Amino acid sequence: MAEDLVLDTAIRDWVLIPLSVVMVLIGILRYFVSKLMRTSQSPDAKIIKEGQIVIRARNLRAAANFIPLKSFRARKTYFSNEEDGLLHVPQGQAQNPQAQMLSDPNMAMDMMKKNLSMIIPQTLTFAWVNFFFSGFVAAKIPFPLTQRFRSMLQNGIDLSTVDVSYVSSRSWYFLNLFGLRGLFSLILGEENATDDTQRMMQMSGFGFDPSKSLSAEKDSLDIVQHEWVLPKFEKRAEAVLRKLLH
Amino acid sequence: MVGAAEEAQLNRLENQVDNGGGGDWEYLCLVRKLKVRRSDKVLKHGLSILNDPKRRSKLGGEVWTLYEQVAVAAMDCQRIDVAKDCVKVLRKQFTESLRVGELEAMLLEAKGSWEDAEKAYSNLLEDNPLDQVIHKRRVAMAKAQGNISVAIEWLNNYLETFMADHDAWRELAEIYVSLQMYKQAAFCYEELILCQPTVPLYHLAYADVLYTLGGLENLQAAKKYYASTIDLTGGKNTRALYGICLCSVAIGQLAKGRGKEDKEGSELQSLAATALEKDYKKRASNKLPLLTATLRNLKLQSS
Repeated sequence: MAEDLVLDTAIRDWVLIPLSVVMVLIGILRYFVSKLMRTSQSPDAKIIKEGQIVIRARNLRAAANFIPLKSFRARKTYFSNEEDGLLHVPQGQAQNPQAQMLSDPNMAMDMMKKNLSMIIPQTLTFAWVNFFFSGFVAAKIPFPLTQRFRSMLQNGIDLSTVDVSYVSSRSWYFLNLFGLRGLFSLILGEENATDDTQRMMQMSGFGFDPSKSLSAEKDSLDIVQHEWVLPKFEKRAEAVLRKLLH
Repeated sequence: MVGAAEEAQLNRLENQVDNGGGGDWEYLCLVRKLKVRRSDKVLKHGLSILNDPKRRSKLGGEVWTLYEQVAVAAMDCQRIDVAKDCVKVLRKQFTESLRVGELEAMLLEAKGSWEDAEKAYSNLLEDNPLDQVIHKRRVAMAKAQGNISVAIEWLNNYLETFMADHDAWRELAEIYVSLQMYKQAAFCYEELILCQPTVPLYHLAYADVLYTLGGLENLQAAKKYYASTIDLTGGKNTRALYGICLCSVAIGQLAKGRGKEDKEGSELQSLAATALEKDYKKRASNKLPLLTATLRNLKLQSS
């Protein structure tokens, strides 16, 4: 019975293609709008310092065996001292991201701008698609699919008898929304592609806590065993010289 | 640091450009990428591009980078007039730019009007307290004026925040060595070794500092670091070989003074001495008697 459904070419010309074109155009427009609204974030001194501390502590951990024990001990105390060590985060002072956001309105503002540039066009286009194209079967994909895909491909058509390889217009909109990333990275350049899925991930991962990395670094520094490797180097140097001389 | 292959390419390009073989833009790009200091060449070739309107327009947006590069090179060569023109052009294009502000301050610095430059840098820092370049320029300025203590203070301030910047640590170490503040220098070199544990030059410099500090413990450590330098350079570092010899002698003297025998009777020092002799025979045979005399004085001569 799937063969019975014939799609009008007018649907292709007036639904399928316009929808895709509009989605692409909106994506590009959104890219430029968000570029306009983006403020250059001036980095916070504290965050930079914490990053640098972590790098230095990591270096210390990685190359600990290359410096004498005394020097290592001094540095270890400097980093992980319980009172005022650099890696020590006092209890309760660990900023939680919510509080940080409240204290820094810029941050909230930035997020809102990002979200606005994402949500507003999406709602508008969704309303537009819903209003004009609801209920269309807009395309047919050239291979059969299982029933599971029905909710993905036939959003807006509540008929269980239609073959799953037909795509409704609303589903076409969703497919475009999430599937155009490759095209955007072609048009706008590799890293500029507006990627909704990635942005959503960023939002959920928002509130990365630098003090956590500090205390993690402290823990791993605490368990480092110092074993000076330099004494071994004398033997190795001997071997090198012997080889050189023979 | 510039790798051997990159340096070869740079020299080849430089040769080609000097002999009028073209490719000057590529040469300038490479100089910029490798951050080498060839100011005279950059000034000469960069200026010839900038003075040619046709080539200038061909570069498009890159032309501003070239202006910046030539401006800095001109300052280095004390062609203040050229630098001034370049900075003026840049300022016209980028009215609010921080980078051009830095160039203007550097221009003041090149002229030697330290107070104005200092003022300019302070102004820039007020807007961007975290700009590394400005911090470093201030250190360089203090050093240029001979205010070593001020330079140390700035550097320490800078390292307070940017403590993973090994170039700054290296600068600080060298300043401390020049002031004979060896303990502080040793700390800086330890930091450098931590940062890049496989760079033999840091091991060598650290060993030098330890040897200079003296004392049995430091001497033994110094010997070990000379040994690691030898290991890392494959025995090709003459200074490290000498270091081994001197350390062994010094350790021997100290141990004898305390009535203890040197238990680490390793043959490292005699090996080092032999390696030195071999090296001198091969590369500077006329200096060989000098070396044998020195080694005899140290009672280290092999055979």
